[in-house]
Amino acid sequence: MLELAGVRHAYEGRVVLDLERFAVPPGALIAIVGHNGSGKSTLLRLLALVERPSTGEIRWGDAVVSSPRVRPRAAALRRNTLVEQRPVLFRGTVRANLGFGLKIRGRRGAEAEKTVAAVAERLGITGLLDRRRHELSDGEVQRVAVARALAVAPDVLLLDEPVSSADRAAAQALYGALADERRARGLAICLASHQLEDAYRWADDIRALAEGRLSPVTPENLFRVELPPGQEEETKHVRVGPIAIAVTTGREGPAILAVPPTDIFVSKEPLVSSARNVFTGQVTRLGRPRPGVVHVAADVGVELIAVITEEAARDLALAPGSPVTFAFKASAVRVF
Amino acid sequence: MDFLAEGLRRAVHLISSADPEVYGIALLTVKVAVVATVIACALGMPLGFVLASRRFWGRRAALTVVNTALAFPTVVVGLLLYALLSRRGPLGGLGWLYTWQAIVIGDVILAFPIAAALSAAAVQGVDPRIRRTAETLGAGTWRTAWAVAREARFALAAVITAAFGQVVAEVGAAMIVGGNIRGATRTLTTAVALYTAQGDFGLALALGLILLVMALVVNVALQVLQGRGNA
Repeated sequence: MLELAGVRHAYEGRVVLDLERFAVPPGALIAIVGHNGSGKSTLLRLLALVERPSTGEIRWGDAVVSSPRVRPRAAALRRNTLVEQRPVLFRGTVRANLGFGLKIRGRRGAEAEKTVAAVAERLGITGLLDRRRHELSDGEVQRVAVARALAVAPDVLLLDEPVSSADRAAAQALYGALADERRARGLAICLASHQLEDAYRWADDIRALAEGRLSPVTPENLFRVELPPGQEEETKHVRVGPIAIAVTTGREGPAILAVPPTDIFVSKEPLVSSARNVFTGQVTRLGRPRPGVVHVAADVGVELIAVITEEAARDLALAPGSPVTFAFKASAVRVF
Repeated sequence: MDFLAEGLRRAVHLISSADPEVYGIALLTVKVAVVATVIACALGMPLGFVLASRRFWGRRAALTVVNTALAFPTVVVGLLLYALLSRRGPLGGLGWLYTWQAIVIGDVILAFPIAAALSAAAVQGVDPRIRRTAETLGAGTWRTAWAVAREARFALAAVITAAFGQVVAEVGAAMIVGGNIRGATRTLTTAVALYTAQGDFGLALALGLILLVMALVVNVALQVLQGRGNA
């Protein structure tokens, strides 16, 4: 198992990642979600061992493979492969790119050719094999980079926004190919995405990053806020965009607010209740990540997502554009 | 004008008649320049790679030293080398003073900072994702350096050209430690200086033209290589 332990990573003194523990078990399919600048790419680079943490360590099983004092060895580097958000191809043809990692592993000739052809077919890039990087679109470069990473059969594949340059069909094809690959040989996949729907659809395990820390709740409804002064446990009204969210906390200063989607009551109109947070707005979209579960996204000044059952959605006759009221208690709001 | 035309006529005659002295000097110059360029680049380019791609204590100071050495006066290098190689100097036992090897050492000292500083700049100009991608695909230090070098090939070729240019055009150190001995340590630049002083303008001009042609050939070869590798 690949694992980060007690990692604090800083650039020029600014802490960008602070994780007590982050494990990637064998065969896992993990989605890391979070806003831009939340630390997703840094986390992937650390897991890929191409950066060493400022403090803490990265382990493969019991062995420390990267730390401020331990430089990763080639053998450890070969177990994890990273595809960056905007990947680059080396000079030469797509075929040469797919063979790069194989050559390093001493696999040449017919055997390497066979592997290259097979992985190209799985990713649907056979027609691109003799092209060079300047003859490819951004989406094609992304697919070639994923194929190049899969060609070396890593134990852990790390993908940073793997479909950011792909259209819907290409994204489906890429996720489909990754799912097949995982079924075939049980590799672990850890992908960073800012698209929650993709994360819910493709990943088994969703972890949210905010300000370089793991969110203790699901990744929806995270807000960066400035808490008003006052260290007593009390109800504070915190401005989030045009609305003010009531929250019970003894903290002050910069923080992240999380509103758990399952703690939001959804109704057609405001109800008299104990909830200190009542916001009205319009449904913007409905998502169905799993059978029987509906994600209701609504614009109530900011976008909030609530999770309800299929039956409740039917009873409320919710549809994009329909009026809706979200209500939740001040004590339901998490602060971290 | 007659003086210039006469000099040019004599230069063309000396070159076209394959004058043994002219070609002997040119060959020695090529030998010294090639050996010195190879040694300077073999030492300087790896240092440039390390300075550009590794973070270590004293790196900034090392870069400053290398960049400062770019402006090292050639006569000062010649003077220091003379002190080392002269009979009473610490390396006097080698007996290299007034040999072509002494000129090579002087040229290496002058071309080494060029190779180091310019290759550091060339490597720093390569997209950092190339190094990360090579590493994440399992490349070790050398393979990663090779992948980076392939991306920086034009700039690195220019480094070799610049080092060769420095070596082939150098006169101060070659004059001091080479001694400008006919048939032994007389290079194109030292010969041009000598024959101009002696008033043999035609011979000096012939040698100067050969020097220019050598510079031209190296630059054209570089451009051809760049054209072929442009993909």
